Amino acid sequence: MSNIELSQVDRTAIGADNPPLSQRRPRSSATASKLGARGVQLLSWIAPVLLVIVWEALADAGWLSPQVLPAPSKVIRTAFKLATTGSLLNDLGVSLLRAAAGFAIGATVGAALGVLVGFSRIAEAAIDRSVQMIRAIPFLAALPLVIVWLGVGEAEKIFLVALGVTSPIYINTVLGIRQVDPKLLELGRVQGLSSLQLIRRIILPGALPSILTGVRYALATAWLALVVAETIGAQSGIGFLTMDAREFLRTDVIVLTIVIYALIGVAADAIARFLERRLLAWHPNYGAER
Amino acid sequence: MNVHVAPQSSTPFESGPAVVVSNLVRSYVSRVVIEKLNLRIDRGEFVALLGESGCGKTTLLRALAGLDPIQGGRIVAPRRPAVVFQEHRLLPWDNLWRNVALGLQVQDPRARAAEALTEVGLGDRLEDWPRNLSGGQAQRVALARALVQQPELLLLDEPFAALDALTRIRMHQLVRELVANHQPGVLLVTHDVDEAIALADRILVMRNGVIAFEHRAVRDGSTPISRAELLSELGVVPHSAS
Repeated sequence: MSNIELSQVDRTAIGADNPPLSQRRPRSSATASKLGARGVQLLSWIAPVLLVIVWEALADAGWLSPQVLPAPSKVIRTAFKLATTGSLLNDLGVSLLRAAAGFAIGATVGAALGVLVGFSRIAEAAIDRSVQMIRAIPFLAALPLVIVWLGVGEAEKIFLVALGVTSPIYINTVLGIRQVDPKLLELGRVQGLSSLQLIRRIILPGALPSILTGVRYALATAWLALVVAETIGAQSGIGFLTMDAREFLRTDVIVLTIVIYALIGVAADAIARFLERRLLAWHPNYGAER
Repeated sequence: MNVHVAPQSSTPFESGPAVVVSNLVRSYVSRVVIEKLNLRIDRGEFVALLGESGCGKTTLLRALAGLDPIQGGRIVAPRRPAVVFQEHRLLPWDNLWRNVALGLQVQDPRARAAEALTEVGLGDRLEDWPRNLSGGQAQRVALARALVQQPELLLLDEPFAALDALTRIRMHQLVRELVANHQPGVLLVTHDVDEAIALADRILVMRNGVIAFEHRAVRDGSTPISRAELLSELGVVPHSAS
């Protein structure tokens, strides 16, 4: 199977092909330097802020039916009301907990399998094809079976999240290990490193950029899986809130939950980027000091 | 691995062989690259190995380093040799002192690494990243990393080939000093005839898997081997008008 033939020196593993522009764009284009870093920062906020203002104006003018798209101010009021009197915070907590638990399990399994396959051709022969096949199954297709197995409780939701997290972590761990520079491994041998030292000093640090790309992608799929899981048979959580709101045509609540998903997605990405900056300070493409 | 490491304790300044190679055979699937080669390098001796591309000189070095299996003969070295490659091979994720201390098993590796880095003129850059170094500086760190192991045999695989001419000359001086201080046996594999003449006590030319020519430099006043003589051994015939 060729998607695990990993000899090219290419950092872009799965999920890395669409990096956010703000991160990968060369910093010192001529116009950007004229604006200054603050200016560019400000500029990146103009479009979204403008969009919200136009949306608010249209809603206030009555051109947008509240049934179709309630005004941003209305959504904020709803958020406040739900947070103080309703169960919003509780639902948010439940969702985050599910995501965290699923992520922890999936990341552990993915990393363990990835390390195994990364180091051993025999393990690759035994495991890789199965993982690749499981990876190809869409969440929605797997959902009925998962529900038959685990019911519609917490286990089913955490399982789905874990399933979504496992493969990106797995693939990027294998990739990272396989593309560690063989010349550095040779050096490790010359310096008399033991196998364990070789792994700790050379292989894992060398694989880390790729593994962190996997983490970043996994955070996104964890969310995706959670939405799917929570829209079916949930009694709590953000997804449940959405489904509940649909029953009562509460467009404001639906929009609110979508915004919450977006915010958490952005937060997850920020965490991943923070990790990259901290752990890859040595790397010319990631480090804080350039 | 077929390198026989004799258990033996020895101080670095003792004289005696740093490595003895007898009847070494090294072959790939169908091609014999090294055919019954014999070589002895003493501690404190600087040997340069010249030869055309593909003559087997790097293969010999890799065999001595224990990186490739050998198909016959014996390599006897009292201790594991240290190697400096053509590329610096610094770990990009470790700062300089950690790079130098890689594989070092002593009480205070940082202090030892600092000593070694000071010796190559980079004592003030302990915490710096390899990517902030120039080519010459990186190669100096690689030298420090090799010497901090106190090797009895130092293998240099065209370590200056990628450097500019000025930096290369500075590196020659540095290497000469370091070798004088540490007294390892040195095997320098190089393409550069001038480099060999400038540095080596003994110059070997390898051809068809054996050592075909040997010249022992007698320093102190005697005329050194001429460039032309060495080049003709390497199969380079200078243009002449006659």
